[in-house]
Amino acid sequence: MHLIQRMKIWKELRRLELRAREQPSPSTFVDLGQVYINLDLHDKAERIAEDGLALFPKAPELRQLLDCARRGLRGKQAAELRAKLTRSPNAATYRELAKLQIELGDQAALHTTCQEWSLRFPDDPGCWLVLGQARLVGFYRDLAAREGQEAVRCLQRAVAMAPGDAQARRLLGDLLYRIGAVNGAMEHLHKLQEIDPQDTELQTLLAHVQGLADRGDDIDGLLEDVEAHGSLAHPSLAAVPKPQGDEAMARVRDGLAHVADLAGVRKATFIRGSKALVKGAIRDGRDPFLRVVRVVAKAAHRFARRLDIGSANKTVVDGAFGHVCICVYGEALAAVQCDEGTDLTQVMAELQEIVAGALHAAEGSGK
Amino acid sequence: MSKIHDAVVELRRAPGVRGAAVLTNDGLMAASSLDDALVADVVAGLSSFLLMTANKSLGEGSMGTCTQLTVHATHGKAVFLDLTDSFLVVLFDQFADIAGAQKQVQDAASRIRRASRLA
Repeated sequence: MHLIQRMKIWKELRRLELRAREQPSPSTFVDLGQVYINLDLHDKAERIAEDGLALFPKAPELRQLLDCARRGLRGKQAAELRAKLTRSPNAATYRELAKLQIELGDQAALHTTCQEWSLRFPDDPGCWLVLGQARLVGFYRDLAAREGQEAVRCLQRAVAMAPGDAQARRLLGDLLYRIGAVNGAMEHLHKLQEIDPQDTELQTLLAHVQGLADRGDDIDGLLEDVEAHGSLAHPSLAAVPKPQGDEAMARVRDGLAHVADLAGVRKATFIRGSKALVKGAIRDGRDPFLRVVRVVAKAAHRFARRLDIGSANKTVVDGAFGHVCICVYGEALAAVQCDEGTDLTQVMAELQEIVAGALHAAEGSGK
Repeated sequence: MSKIHDAVVELRRAPGVRGAAVLTNDGLMAASSLDDALVADVVAGLSSFLLMTANKSLGEGSMGTCTQLTVHATHGKAVFLDLTDSFLVVLFDQFADIAGAQKQVQDAASRIRRASRLA
């Protein structure tokens, strides 16, 4: 960079730093952090985001800045590990690098790393486990059969190479019962019980899986069914409704009633998995609004993921019908259909509250 | 055609805009001005998929078609604007103020509509 350009940037930085101190607001912190990111100083951008969040803990743009800075830092760490591997390759560093690449979502780099890892250390099952984990993330996100098949192949190879490794077996068992291959999953879970008979969490899982219906052992066919239906055959243990969830659902119901009362809002829904709560002018479960919400949320999610812009959290569809506003975080989704002229900022804020509340309750009950 | 391209290029200069493109409903790119990190074919394919999926579900529910679709994602934002036989896609970075850029997007859409009528 030219010296004068550099001096201009440092001058601008000093101005932004002063502004962030004298007139603190999420946007001043974000502006400053963005300049640091542009200068490749992700550690400083991370500090700025953390300082900003200390003052404005609910600011979504500061969370995004923090996320962006951390991604940059991970990218740097990955480059350092890659250089270290070139000098002295070892399995532990490959594992560390592969985990970073999974966090970064850099599939191409992950494949290169794992390919190298398996060539240099052919007896180490670690690369198959990591590849299986990455494929699993893709499968659970998109429910694409091909990802599932690859995940099963990698995990089976990891299990074959290290029959005593609990992690690969557990992941494989989880995947199998969730797609409907309950008997196949039970074999792996029983093996896990032999490895660690004291594991109480495993016993709970065994009890959960035992009660599920088996749909055969044609894994490819079951994965194709999952892709065709867009849903897994059985819920995970964590997703099974717990008694303490009632209070959280009551809060969601109240929030939904509140958003449905806003001027211009006609229909409102909260969806989690296969369950939906509805308010307003919704006739029944076949109301087109509910289908539009599910389809658009899923399509927007895929669009954002494949375009590498993260997760689609908020989507607004406008048309002659008014607006359909959707807010999604994790498995929870809240949406409304409202008339033209409705205050969409307020509607979106209310939807975000409902979803965040539901997620918070889920995290709390998971502890 | 060059007027459409000019409108897209001008829109690309707006703050926070990473790319803009005009696509036909079946996903063919008529004009584009994209950031180096964005691959034209990927943007075209994904945008067409999203719009077609949204319009199909709206059509099945007798709700008509969508005139605008806005997506806020963790690391970026996207706006799709219906231009009758085509649509305008505008991709923003995560910090962009979409409401602030709405006027520029609408102006570009009007220019493209006018240019399409004349062509």
